[in-house]
This record gives sequence, structure tokens and C-alpha cells, in this order.
Amino acid sequence: MDRKTINVTINGEQYIRNVEVYMTLAEFLREEIGLTGTKIGCNEGECGGCTVIFNGRPVNSCIVLVNEIDGGDVLTIEGMSQDELHPIQEAFLEVGAVQCGFCTPGMVMSAKAILDQNHHPSEAYIRKNMEGNICRCTGYVRIMKGIILAAERMYGKAE
Amino acid sequence: MLPRFDLYEPKTIAEACALKKEHNGRILAGGTDVVIDMHGGKEFPVIIDIKGIEELETITEDENTITFGALTRHRTIEESVFFKKYYSALWDGCSQVGSVQIRHRGTLGGNICNAVPSADSIGPLQVFDAVCTVASPEGDREVALKDFFIGPKKTILGPDEILKSITIQKLKARSGSCYIKYGRRKAMDLALCGISCMIELDENDTIVKSRWSLTTAAPTSIRNYPPEEYLTGRNIKDVDLDELGKLAVKDAKPRSSWRSSAEFRIALLDEMAKRAYQNALSRALEAKTAPPLMSEETGFNVF
Ligand SMILES: Cc1cc2nc3c(=O)[nH]c(=O)nc-3n(C[C@H](O)[C@H](O)[C@H](O)COP(=O)(O)OP(=O)(O)OC[C@H]3O[C@@H](n4cnc5c(N)ncnc54)[C@H](O)[C@@H]3O)c2cc1C
Ligand code: FES
Ligand code: FES
Repeated sequence: MDRKTINVTINGEQYIRNVEVYMTLAEFLREEIGLTGTKIGCNEGECGGCTVIFNGRPVNSCIVLVNEIDGGDVLTIEGMSQDELHPIQEAFLEVGAVQCGFCTPGMVMSAKAILDQNHHPSEAYIRKNMEGNICRCTGYVRIMKGIILAAERMYGKAE
Repeated sequence: MLPRFDLYEPKTIAEACALKKEHNGRILAGGTDVVIDMHGGKEFPVIIDIKGIEELETITEDENTITFGALTRHRTIEESVFFKKYYSALWDGCSQVGSVQIRHRGTLGGNICNAVPSADSIGPLQVFDAVCTVASPEGDREVALKDFFIGPKKTILGPDEILKSITIQKLKARSGSCYIKYGRRKAMDLALCGISCMIELDENDTIVKSRWSLTTAAPTSIRNYPPEEYLTGRNIKDVDLDELGKLAVKDAKPRSSWRSSAEFRIALLDEMAKRAYQNALSRALEAKTAPPLMSEETGFNVF
């Protein structure tokens, strides 16, 4: 087959689309659904700019083929906040973890994936689990601070 | 957009094998190699996505072995306290593949079938005497992982065959293992070179079994026999680390490439062999009993 009907939940909403199969999840989000918060940097799994949470797991949407998301659940940066910003976004703003902002959607999604699994991550844990997200501007220090601050706000200080 | 292709989503192994033969199709597992190739402009007229075949996802065990379905993800190994504690070399390898995002996608089967010399799971699997189960319409056959490759990017898989699972031997008490990867960066880098080892001690601290392998030191990941022969039957008091380092690089034939010269890789491997041995040894000395059943140790790694 060269087309497939995709029935997928994105940010809590159901979408049904019939699309050509030679399309990545990143392209599907940006071009079919119009969710352009997900950024395409390298298009080869290196930079993490396209990170979304797919069935609970952070993935590079530039290397996930669209056929696989049928029946699945995708969370993108647009789904992180409704009326108010998510605590991770608040914390990033507060500590200045954003400069040009191109990496930020991916950074926030990876941070969300970390805090979903580990409410009190150590610095080493954060470093290891953010290794797939590259930032050309900030030098990472404030991104790290932002994640730690968000963790404390969301889940309290580790005892 | 990617180059056009026709997509198949088989639900059984038999179907996948038949499709592969009929269309000379490209198997798609996690896609972390295949989709990268496609983005690079490579055309695969037929893609066969095997992720719908549930049988390929499970990890099972019996008294002597553990069997990983070909679709086992690197991240699954990384998250498991069981593999970290008892099959440390495999954990060391899987937890250093690419990034978290890549490890959620990339599979053991894909790492093996892609058959590049830098694959981080192959060396570690070899020190546990891994055997591949290959499926075809005629049935299954077993091939030792060390015999699975015929050259870089070339495997023994026939036109109607897919890799079904990989089986490792369970360790005994007083066994330990280690994989060391050398990359220029700590993350998102391929191994400039890598070395794996496994040792098993008896109650008098004599090494009764030892397995070694090399990564990015030959056209494919290879078993490394000279250090095995040196260590087997030797008491740990009589192990000369300098001698061990020399033997560990005896069969290494790394290339010089833009990443590094062959001489540098040899110097690295010599030192890494000593460290890998010492890590494996301290793990063996801590392992008072044989590993429990996988189902008895279900912890999640929060390091
Ligand atoms: C950014 C990035 C970083 C990476 N870093 C590393 C790294 O540090 N270390 C490392 O080892 N690798 C690395 N890789 C490579 C890759 O992630 C691994 O090789 C991974 O294990 C491949 O698995 P996959 O399921 O994604 O394979 P796929 O891309 O789906 O398949 C790979 C090959 O194997 C074949 N294949 C897959 N499964 C089967 C099967 N069951 N039977 C027959 N053929 C099969 C496919 O046809 C294809 O030729 C990296 C890749 C990227 C994109
Ligand atoms: S755009 Fe997907 S990882 Fe760079
Ligand atoms: S803020 Fe510019 S790339 Fe990270």
C-alpha cells in the first residue's frame, strides 16, 4: 500500500487522516495537522528538536514513519499548556533557559519524559536523559536549572 | 518527504519472510538506521514493517538461557535493574546507544542486522555466547552470533529469512562482565573502539571461563580469543595486566579513518582491556550467587 488511514490521538484530540505512507511523524504533525511547534532541525535523529512523546515515550518524530502512529497517542509541545503554561515552561522562562528557542520544544518534551519517570532526578540522571537534545545557544546550564526547578515545583524537594 | 515506497505490515513471521522474498523488501524495525538511509536519499521500493509481529517483542527465559525477541529495544535493557546487575556488559552497551530517543526506538535485531563494526550491543552479546534464531518459511535455524556476519553491512540472512530472536547463556555465580566504549563525546557518538569481557571464577579465584570481543576493531564485531586463552585456568593473583592488554589487541585490525588512526585505537584498546577486566573482576567477586530469575528482579533504574 502507499496510503494509509491514520486514526490517532494528538494532545487529547482525535484526528483521522488518509495520507501517503512515505511521511514521517514530524511531517504529519507540521503539514497535515498544522502543529508547527515540533521543529525539524537535522531530520536524522541527532538534534532532538523534533522530540514528541509517543505512547508515553520520547521519540525523534523525524524518524518515526507515519503508519506506526495509527491507534497511538502523541503529545506535542502544543499539548503541554492549555490556559496556563506547564510548570516546565514556566521554569524555563524564569531561569532563562531559552535563547533562540529552536531547541526549546524538544527540550521541554524530553524534560517532561524525564519527570514522568523520575520525580526527583539527579543532575547526572538529567544529563544522561537529555543527551539527545542539542542546544546551540544556551550552554545547557540554565536548561538544567529549569528542569530541577520544575521538578521541585511539581513534586517537592527530594528528601 | 521520503523517497516513495510500498509498505507492508505483516502480522506473522511467515508473512514477513514471504514478503521479503517476493519483493526483495527492506525490513523495518525501529527504523533508526533504515529511515536515516531514506532521509539520505536511499530508495527502498518495498518496506516491510515488522513491528506488528508481537512474537518478536518478548523476552523469555528458561533454566539456562535468556531469549530476546528481535524487537527488544535498547531502552528496555537500560531500564532494567536485572540486566544492569547481572548482565552488565549488555547494559553497558545498550545504555550507550545514541540517545534516549534513539534507544526507545532502536532494537537489538536492527543493531545486529545492520551489521556495522561499531554496533554497541553485538560485542556484549558475544561474551554471553549469543546464538541467533533465524526464521524462514522452512522453519527456524540457529547461528552463533559470531558467525552471523560475512562483512561490513553483510549478514548470513537469506532472501526469505529474518532474525527472530537472540539467546544468551545465563551466568553462574561469581561471574561478571563489562563493555567499555570509547567515543570522542560522552553521548551521541559511535564507538571509536570498544571491548567486552566476561569472566567466571571458581571458589579459589581461578578463572574457569572467559569471553572477550572487540567493537570497531575489524570489519565486523569479532570474538577475541587471545585474552580468553590467557585467562582461562589462571588464578586472578597471576594475571599480569600488561600482558593481558597486549593479548587483547593481538587480533585487533582497526582501520585508520578520519575519526582516528589505527595506532590510536590499538593504544586505547590495550588500556581499555585492563579496565574492562578489572570491572568484570570486581563484579564477579560481588556476585556471590547465580543471577535470580528475571521475573524476580523487576526494578527500574533510576541512577
Ligand atoms: C542519532 C543516532 C545515533 C545512533 N547511535 C548509535 C550508537 O551509539 N551505537 C549503535 O550501536 N548504534 C547507533 N545508532 C544506530 C541504530 O540506532 C542501531 O543500530 C539500532 O539498534 C538499529 O535498530 P533499529 O530497530 O532502529 O533498526 P532498523 O533501522 O529498523 O533496521 C536496521 C537494519 O536491520 C534490518 N533488520 C532489522 N530488524 C531485522 C530483523 N528482525 N530481521 C532481519 N533484518 C532486520 C533492516 O532491514 C535494516 O537493514 C544510532 C542511530 C542514530 C540515528
Ligand atoms: S530533527 Fe529529528 S532529531 Fe533532529
Ligand atoms: S536556545 Fe537556541 S538552540 Fe537552544
